[in-house]
Amino acid sequence: MTPQVTPFDHRPDRALGAALRAALTGADEPAFVTRVLARVGRPLPYWEVLASWSRAGITAAAATGLIATFLVGRAAASSTPDPDFLASAATASARRLVAAPRPPDPSVVLAGIEDR
Amino acid sequence: MERYSASVRRVARAVLGDPDDADDAAQDALLAALVKLRQYDPQRPFGPWLMRVVANAATDRRRRRTVRRVDPLDGNIVAGGPAPDVEMQRRALGQQLREALAALPERRRIAVVLFDVEGYSHAEIGRILGVPEGTVRSEVFHARRALRALLKDWKEEEA
Repeated sequence: MTPQVTPFDHRPDRALGAALRAALTGADEPAFVTRVLARVGRPLPYWEVLASWSRAGITAAAATGLIATFLVGRAAASSTPDPDFLASAATASARRLVAAPRPPDPSVVLAGIEDR
Repeated sequence: MERYSASVRRVARAVLGDPDDADDAAQDALLAALVKLRQYDPQRPFGPWLMRVVANAATDRRRRRTVRRVDPLDGNIVAGGPAPDVEMQRRALGQQLREALAALPERRRIAVVLFDVEGYSHAEIGRILGVPEGTVRSEVFHARRALRALLKDWKEEEA
């Protein structure tokens, strides 16, 4: 007697499996295998080539960006102010302010104004 | 390749329906698997890994496809096969099953084919589809319910 098969079964349903296998199995298996093997070793399709390029491109762009950020940051930190710009400052304290690599602390500036 | 090609084609056909599209997807999947072979962990079974590649290739192709083509005549029909009426009945059942499969959601189609045709476990199918095992059980349950009704009707008609 064939065991009753329910949808909850954890075992494959042989009858359904066989019917599906017959419905889905393609014709001429050897020809298909030959066709695939003939493709092995041929150049990859363009989208796979582009995909491999894009991976390398993203890596290269990220590395270039990091290096560029580092170089620009270093150049900005070590830059000397323009002499004409410095000369335009009227007083010595103004020249120090203009030549300073970082902006002054606002509380110090405000304290200087208050002292006047 | 011979060992897996039939399974690969069936899974692709379960997703795509059209046999030519399915064979193209199966070919893409097998070639992609060769390219990605370095990513395969030999400690794990090869079949589920390959089926994952196939399911992804077929799903990608289905998404790209914009125009559905008409199924060509089944190439299994050859001279010297079973008697014409038996063959016609088999073809008709196959056609109905394919139509019933096509009416199911994609994940359900893949799950039932991998379970009932290819013999993968729920856990393996879960890894192939990237879903929990319980989801696979549910998908197989619903697919079976739909497909068994068709088979039952067919048997009753035959009797």
